[in-house]
Amino acid sequence: MNIELEELTRRFGRNEAVAGVNLRAGPGVFGLLGPNGAGKTTLLRMMATVVSPSSGRMRLFGRDPVGYAQRKEIRRRLGYLPQNLCYYPAFTVLEFIEYFALLKEMPSSRVPAAVAAAVERVDLGGKARAKLRTLSGGMLRRVGIAQAIVNDPGLLLLDEPTAGLDPEQRVQFRALLRDLGQRASVVVSTHLVEDVGAACTEVALMNQGKIIFRGTPDELTARGIRNGTGDAPLERGYTAVLAEARA
Amino acid sequence: MTAAGLQNLAGAAPEAKASWPPPAWLHPAGLRLVRLHLASRRVPAALAALAVCGVVMWAALYWHWVLGSGTGAQSVPIVLEAGTASVVAVTTSSPFGELERAGVRWLPWLRLGTAVALAGAAVGALCAGAAITGDLSGGTLGVLRNVAGLTGIGLLAAAVTGGGLAWIAPMAYMVAAQYAIIAGWTTPWLWPARPPADHGAALCAALVLAAGVAVTAFRGARDPASGD
Repeated sequence: MNIELEELTRRFGRNEAVAGVNLRAGPGVFGLLGPNGAGKTTLLRMMATVVSPSSGRMRLFGRDPVGYAQRKEIRRRLGYLPQNLCYYPAFTVLEFIEYFALLKEMPSSRVPAAVAAAVERVDLGGKARAKLRTLSGGMLRRVGIAQAIVNDPGLLLLDEPTAGLDPEQRVQFRALLRDLGQRASVVVSTHLVEDVGAACTEVALMNQGKIIFRGTPDELTARGIRNGTGDAPLERGYTAVLAEARA
Repeated sequence: MTAAGLQNLAGAAPEAKASWPPPAWLHPAGLRLVRLHLASRRVPAALAALAVCGVVMWAALYWHWVLGSGTGAQSVPIVLEAGTASVVAVTTSSPFGELERAGVRWLPWLRLGTAVALAGAAVGALCAGAAITGDLSGGTLGVLRNVAGLTGIGLLAAAVTGGGLAWIAPMAYMVAAQYAIIAGWTTPWLWPARPPADHGAALCAALVLAAGVAVTAFRGARDPASGD
């Protein structure tokens, strides 16, 4: 199991952003759905080891990130795309991805090839030497995805990865996700249920810091057959489960 | 562009077998990481700003913007010392936010090295500016002590407010120090008001610098965007 979470909780003052989440996941693409403020981003940030849990237990790759050496080992095998990608605008695409490859302690002999492969996988070869300040929002998102996959991570955490991508890029990105999910655990937080339907092997729905549904996209779809609302089958499942939880 | 072409752009070279393992700091990846880290912190611009402070110091002394004696003699140098400390503090700001915190390598050392090197450059720039005229009240020792302490204040402020606002603390301290000089306060915590060779003032400035450097190395500047 790459991800093992037990009663994981995170509070910000009085607000409990994540309230006792239990989750175990191995390789595959895991979709994380939920309304705004459900706790998806905080859960991802805890798994990315940039925010500490208030309580509960988290093990990634069988290691506990509380210890420095184990946290380092986890981070070496981790890819993370935050919701808001921060970048230095004077860096080129290559420099940005190279910086994070080096920060993840990739062997120096492997870095150029890994950077080139990551750039190609997000289809930014033509913009490799462009400064980040000259790129569009969708291109910047792809740069963010490239830095997340540059170290060929065993655990990939993506927060709203398809925001700003055009339909063609989203289709390519879903194919990339399916490919990565063959070997790695990929956790994707998104509002776009069609991404979940197309790319995810499993899905969890969060509400008020808790996981209120976990299953396959087909199982979520089945929950919406009778009383869901929405245009797509998965949307109907999503709204039906949320309505049950709120009732 | 092909993957092979990109590899060349990214600086791929034929693998060479080293007969001995080079130390980590000499490793090309390490040097490349240092270069990218310094560029992302706008260190070249910071060095230019420090050089400007040195030139202003020279101009102030050459054209007697300060008086030769009395409390007025210290005012312009202290403003410049606070200015250089502010420059050092602002460079602690990371443009990458939590993305960088999820990295593995060397960050504490990079932060430590950047802060210490820039503080050294600040002292060097001001002392060089002053040395040309040889007319600075307090001399090199005073500049060293004041810049060290003010830099410590700036680094501590960066841990609280983030690098972008960290310049406020050295500037506020500078105002307090100017008032202390005029009012004749003698507490060693307001070290610019004490003589350059004063041990208590030097110790206070050194303590503040050590605390600031330690916080910067281990924790880094606060990332206001993280909301933590």
